[in-house]
Parts: sequence; structure tokens; C-alpha cells
Amino acid sequence: MQFGLTINGESTEVDAAPDDDLASVLRSEGYTGVKCGCDGGVCGASKVLIEGEALMACGTTVEEADGTSIVTIEGLGTQEDLHPIQRAFVDHFAVQCGFCIPGMIIQTKELLEENPNPSEAEVREAIDDNLCRCTGYQKPVEAILDAAERTNGDEAVAADGGTLSDRRTNTGETHD
Amino acid sequence: MTDPDNPKPDGGTASQPEQDPSAFEDHPLEWDESENNNLAPDERASISLPAEKDDDPKLVTGQAKYTADYEKKFPDLAHARVVRSEIPHGKVTTVETSEAEEMDGVHAVLTPWSEEIPDAKYTSAGQSYPEPSPWDMNVLNEHVRYVGDPIAAIAADDVETARAAADSIEIEYEADDYVLDPEEAYSTDAPQLFAEDDVENKIVGHDYDRNRMAQIEGEIGETVAAFERDDVHVHESEWETIRQSHAQIEKHTSLAYADEDDRHVLITSTQVPNHTRRQLAHLFDIPIRDIRVSKPRVGGGFGGKQAMVVEPIPLALSLAADRPVLYEATREEEFHAMRSRHPMKVRARTAVTEDGAIEAIDLYALSNTGAYGSHGMTVAGNVGSKPMPLYSKVPNARFKADIVHTNTPQTGAMRGYGAPQGTLALEGHLDEVARDLDLDPVEFRQQHYMEVGDLDEIAGMMGGEGAERRIRSCGLDECIERGMEAIGWDSLEQPDEDHLHRGIGMALSAQGTGVAGDELGAAQLMMNEDGSFHLHVGGVDIGTGADTAFIQIAAEVLGCDEKDIVIKSSDTDVTPFDYGAYASSTTYISGTAVKKAAEDARERILYWGSKLLDEPEATLETGDGAVYSEETGASVDLEEIGYEAAYGHEEREHILGKGTHCTEESPPPFAAQFVDVTVNEETGEFDVNKLVVAVDCGVAINPGMAEGQVEGANHMSYEMAVSEGITFDDEGRPEVTDFNEYDWPTAAETPTIESILIETHEPTGPFGAKSVAEVPTNTVPPALSNAIREAVGVRITDMPITAEKIESELENGD
Repeated sequence: MQFGLTINGESTEVDAAPDDDLASVLRSEGYTGVKCGCDGGVCGASKVLIEGEALMACGTTVEEADGTSIVTIEGLGTQEDLHPIQRAFVDHFAVQCGFCIPGMIIQTKELLEENPNPSEAEVREAIDDNLCRCTGYQKPVEAILDAAERTNGDEAVAADGGTLSDRRTNTGETHD
Repeated sequence: MTDPDNPKPDGGTASQPEQDPSAFEDHPLEWDESENNNLAPDERASISLPAEKDDDPKLVTGQAKYTADYEKKFPDLAHARVVRSEIPHGKVTTVETSEAEEMDGVHAVLTPWSEEIPDAKYTSAGQSYPEPSPWDMNVLNEHVRYVGDPIAAIAADDVETARAAADSIEIEYEADDYVLDPEEAYSTDAPQLFAEDDVENKIVGHDYDRNRMAQIEGEIGETVAAFERDDVHVHESEWETIRQSHAQIEKHTSLAYADEDDRHVLITSTQVPNHTRRQLAHLFDIPIRDIRVSKPRVGGGFGGKQAMVVEPIPLALSLAADRPVLYEATREEEFHAMRSRHPMKVRARTAVTEDGAIEAIDLYALSNTGAYGSHGMTVAGNVGSKPMPLYSKVPNARFKADIVHTNTPQTGAMRGYGAPQGTLALEGHLDEVARDLDLDPVEFRQQHYMEVGDLDEIAGMMGGEGAERRIRSCGLDECIERGMEAIGWDSLEQPDEDHLHRGIGMALSAQGTGVAGDELGAAQLMMNEDGSFHLHVGGVDIGTGADTAFIQIAAEVLGCDEKDIVIKSSDTDVTPFDYGAYASSTTYISGTAVKKAAEDARERILYWGSKLLDEPEATLETGDGAVYSEETGASVDLEEIGYEAAYGHEEREHILGKGTHCTEESPPPFAAQFVDVTVNEETGEFDVNKLVVAVDCGVAINPGMAEGQVEGANHMSYEMAVSEGITFDDEGRPEVTDFNEYDWPTAAETPTIESILIETHEPTGPFGAKSVAEVPTNTVPPALSNAIREAVGVRITDMPITAEKIESELENGD
């Protein structure tokens, strides 16, 4: 069957069985930033925004998504021009293996649009079904709190001093 | 628990060499360190600064490629599915595959008797050669020893077809008696898993009549005599740990195909590409040169991918189906057919004088290795050889372990590698001893623990399991001081409610950095004509940021920007040899190889700089992407050197640096853990208010990444302390098959973790670094047990710590 999806702003028709899970469909369309870590609706790695709501694509059928507008991780920033949320994750060393990170960033996008100034407890509650084995949540939580500030117009570098290139600029030392 | 002294060992590595004083000369305190290895903070340009993780832009935009993401590159790719044993022990008599074979879209169906399935025995443990694990398993098994043992494998056009084909396969068995409990298994009348002929590469101390895979023992001093002295009290306690899952979010995934030259290629999520290549060559009788193992991004390892768990299946299926095959384990398979932490019972005994001098420590571990022996002996060895050296001033020490088979899933390497089990027992035990003697738990430890200059004989007491070493860096005092300050050790306030009690517990930990005398890392650095570099490293980044650390080390030596170094790591066709990412060795072993390769290249860069600047090499330095003269200030860019070397009229050279590294050293990193807990004395419910862990990892090559490692490890340790672990029903069937049932703490359920890095300088490591990733995995279970003891006076010795257990102990105490 044909289903109509708008993926990252582009309308497309996909050929799939009605109960095919959306994660598989998106991955087969090339959106491999959608990750599958469990076998259905538990780990949060496959989250995408469906009509602005962060949902696990593996727990959503393509039929349920028919006619909707979907944003995947590929629809946020690019490597050359990261979205402020992506930038915050990088600056806070919140990314280790990176497998859960697309889902975590998508969830953050939904959170900050609904609640631009979340408390730490609200952040932890928001990502409660985004499982991460590498970082232990401390750094992702710090990154999300900082992302909230950045998306409010504060684009300053992270509180921990930012990246090495920032530091280098600050020292201004050369050997010439 | 079985008495370790009866029966007597029938083997073991117990032979203790005569103590030769001249051996101490092999471990001088002063280390012959290269001039540039010890940079003061203001001299550092790349190392010990928070460089952005090299692969982060790809990871956060979803562009990074993990194994499963290669699917689209292979239009004729088939998907694999494995049929596994439904009984815990028995012989497979028939496998009915005809229906599966006839299904549309099925390309191969393999059973234990298929010609593509090798007859050879092997171990899945991805270790060095000769392998310290028994060869006791086949790719597909006729004799099944746990619910989940692989019996048949299928390749089909898509996952659904493969699943349907798998479901159509019918298996008949002759069931045998089975045993799930390690203490029951370790008796002569228990069902026997292995006969003598079932195993090749047997491990010392095996006794298959009692399901014992191995036995190990080591001692320094005269432990038995010390326990018999009149002036000591003997303290004894027993501890039990869970079967913990690695729970990497990326499941074990492997893709096999034949390339254009008919060579066998594995794109695979592994920590050990070179070991995997060697093991596949052994199994399939293919020359090593005709196998290529390439690791893309890896979605977490934690030791679970230090094993050749899935790779033989897609390789065999690709041979049978003559097309590329992708095998992605299911999450259920992850829990019961991949690997887990060895569950153990550990008994701790100490002989202590009235004034608190520990005269002897004796640890005994009974380890449940499950159906096969992967990592069984070496993990058990670390139960003693990692935590016990922490108290290197104790004159008498003994460790012994029995490693037994049960009809439960295979265990394997997991972050901490035996140290969490040993640390729980030792640090929980010492806390109780301090209480018995009314001593301050910190001061009691300080009397006995390591300090710089100590010769640590305990690390070498088990022969091949470690080596005697000199302690050249130790930040324990500062770890404790900073940790106490952060947790508020001296300013604890009790809650207002009478039924709530607050307590702080602490525990120490030491690990190693690499396996002494048993690892090799290598690296190669090529200079491009534009002054940029290609760094080829065998070392494996499994998400820890190792690639970035390698780049920082090379950039520090070369004086260039990190962005001018392109890294390629862990592809056996391209990158130099490396043992892989395990044993906390990556930065230390592979990183030193990178440093040597960069220094090798730098020598040639200075040669060309000297030619171009017409100044002697001795006066030249590298920095800011140039070679410059310290005397005249003249400089020449690396780009100009690159072009001149490649296209020079009088002389030409491709500037190449190479470095290999192996060492007898394995310096310990240290950690001090503090846990603040509030316990409800009516219900046993408890809240962990905060975790603080201070770690001495030498010089952190990238402090931001190192903190991430510390916090992630501490979270894994917290999970071991409070989670349920993997359990089985009476028939050996797994009761945990998905993340909901595993129930590990989520973001909302995890307390704040404060990580503190204490900088020391380890002269044997690259720019002073030692390891960081494992040591904070060991400490939450004992520190939480100690904190609860402090808060409400009850002692929980078996993990996980639950409200029910506390409530029960509180009731018993009334």
C-alpha cells in the first residue's frame, strides 16, 4: 500500500504494509539516524517528531503515521551547522557511543518547545524513556538544561568552557 | 558455600616464586621517561584540554554509520535469524528444516551438521593468543547446555521471512538433567555439562566431574599462619553479586560478505577486530590474510563485544547463501544468548590485631561461568588481583577461585572484569571490620593502602594473572579528601521525620591499566603533501572517544590542529595490529603507540624543517602547525614541509611514522566513592540522594570525555547495586527478555552523580595518563551497603539491594 508522509518537510509516498513499523520504513527510506535498540517501544532510540510529538517510530505503524508531518534527526542541524540542541550535547560531552542520541535530541526538541525553561527534574522526567547506557544521564541532563538557555536566544558557549577551539582563541598564543 | 581448602586443588597457578630481592630492581621508582611526556598544564596544546569529540558532528546529526546502517549498500542482502535451544540441557536428535527451506525468500538454512558449519571447537572470548579460555563450543550446537544455545541459522530476504522460517523449524531433543545453581553444580553428583573430550585448550584446575572449568590460587606471605596467630581477630563475611547485562543500546550486529577478490569481509560491532579475525580463521580454516574485519561506529561495548558472539553466523550463512548476510541479535537474545557479568559468591576473611593492623586478607570466589567458559578464569582472577592490591601494605594475602559451569547462559567480559565482585566483598568487609573495632573507616583504610613508592607484590601473586609492580602515581589521599568534601561527610543533617535515617558510605577501588605483559598496540602516521595527516590505529573506539584521544596525543606531539588529523581505526586491512579495546588499555597501550608514531614522524618533519630553515634540528620545535626556531623565531608551515617532502627537487620522502607499544607495566587508577542515602526504617525503602566519585586517572587526555566515562561507569555500578539483574525460572528459562523487565534505573530514577578528576602523573603512560573507564564501575555496591549500614544498622550483602531485603533485616534485628 501507499502511504503519504512528509519527512523533514519533503512530501513522499512510501510503499509498505499497513502494520509495518515506522522506524523500519524511515530507515529503508534512508533516514538511518532513526535507531532501533530494543524490539519495540521501550528504549527511545527511534524517537521522531510526529506532528510535533516525540514518539518512538518503532512503536508506531506506518498506517498510523499516514498523512502526518515527521521530523527525524536528519531534519535538525547539519554537521556544518548544528542545531543549538545538538551543539549543547557536543559541548557538554553528553555523547559517547551516540546510538541513543538522535532519540534523546528529538525528545529534547519536543520538551523545549512545550517548556522552554524546564527544571532538572522536568528534564529527567522528559527523557525517562530514553535509555542510555554510556553516560549515566548526568551530562545529557546538563546539556538539555544548557540547550534550553541557548534556544532562548543565549548562544554563549557551554558553562564548562566550550570546545578546544574556543579556548585556543582565548589564549591567542602563537609561535610566529 | 564450598570450603576452598577442601577438596585440595588438583592444579592451579599457585606456584609462588621464591622472592628474590634483586627482582625489586626491575621496578625502580624512578622511571626513564621521555623528555616531553610530562607537560605542565600551561605547556599543553592538545592533551588534557576538552577537545570536541571527533565523531560528534556525525553522531548528533544521525549521519554516523553503525553496522546495521550498511544494509542499504547491499541490494541483495539477506537477514539472519537463529533458532535456539528451548531446553537447558540435552542432545539435539533432529532438526526438521524442510518447510523453512521451501519458503520463498529463504536462501540458506544451517544446522550443526551443515558443511558450512565448522567442526572446530572455539571460545567466543576475544582474548590474546594462546587463549586463556577453553575451546568448548561450536558455532551451532548438537549438545545444548542452556536455554538459548544456537542450533540452527537462516538467511532470508527480509527479517519477517527469516523469522517465519525460524518458527517453522522443529527440533527434537534427548533431554538431560540440568543444574542452575553454582553450589549444586560444584558437587560430584550434579548433572555433568562436559566430558573430558568435549573441551580443547583446557584451563588449569579443570575438573569436569564437578563441573569445574578452572581453579586458580595465589598467595604472598604466610596467610594461614597469620590467621592462626594469637594476637589477631578473624573476621569473615560473604557477598553475592548479580548477573548483570551489558545492555548496550546497539545490539550485537554483524554483516558478512565476499568482496570483489573473494575475500571474506565482516563489518561488525566489535571491540576486538584482530582477535575476531584470528578466531574466524581458526574456526573456518581460512588464512588470516583472506579475512577482513572492519569496525564502523559501535553503539556501546562494555566488554559484551569483547567476544566473537555473532560473527560466525553471518559468515557461515554468506558462504551458504552466496550473498551478503546481516545478523542483528534481538533484544531477547541480548539478555539470554549473548554475554553477561559472572554472578559470584565471594567470601572475605581478614586477620586483624586489636589496634586495627590487618595482618592477612583471604578472598575466595565461587564464580558461575554459565554453560561455557568464556573469560571464566581471567575474570575470576581479577576478583582478587584488582581490589586486593589496594591494600599493598598488608603482608599476607591469599586469593582462590573456583569457576563452575551451570546450565545458564554464557557469561563473559564486562566492564570492571571481576573487580566489582571483589570490591564489593573487600570494601564491604573492611567497613564492617572497622565498625567492629570502632575505628574510623577512612583512617582504617589509610593505614594499609597504597602510596607512591610501594612495591605491590599482591598484583603479581597469581602468576600469569598480573605482575608485581612499583606504584609511581597515586592520588588516593586527594580522592578521599575531595570526595568527603563533595558529599558533606562532616556536615550530614538527619531528616526531621523520626522514621527516616540518613547515612554516608564510602568505598575505595583500584583497577589496572591494560594487561601487564600481554598486550600490543600499533599506529602509523602518514603526512599528506598539504601538511595534514592520516592516523591509522589498530585501537578500537567503541563510543568512549578513543579516536579523539588518539588525535589529541598525535596533535600534541606534532604541534598541529586536531582538525588536520584524519583518523582511521580498527580495519584489519588498513590499520596496524592491536589487541582491541579492553582491560582499560586503549589510551595507555594504543595511545602510547600513537605517541611513538607521531614522534617518529616528527623527527622527519624536523629534518625537513631544518633543511628549509637552514637551522640545526636541535634548535627547532613544532607548534601551531609549523616548525619554528626557538633561537631566531623563523618558522615554516607544515604545509610547506609536506609539499617539499613530496615534490622536492633534490630529495623526496613520504613522511611516515610508526609506533608499537607493549609493556610489563599496568599502573592502577584509583577511585573513592561516596554514597548519601536516606532509609525509611519502617519500610526499608531508600533514596540515594547523591553519588560522588573521585578518580585518579593520571593526566586525563580529554577531561570532558573522562568525566563522561566516570559518570557512565558509576551509573552502571549503581545499577548493579539496585537493579534486579537477569533471572531464570526453575527450568532455566530467562525471566528477563526486554528492557521493561530488566528495569534499570532511568534518568528520573538516577541520583545526581558528581565526578571529580584528581590529576596525578603516571610516568609510564602517554603524557602521564592511566586508565579511567573501569575503576568507577566497582564502587557503588559496597558504598551503598556501607551507607545503609550507617543509616539504619543493617547489612545487605547480596545484590541487588532492595527495600524488601532491608525491611527483612530490620525486622530480624528487632
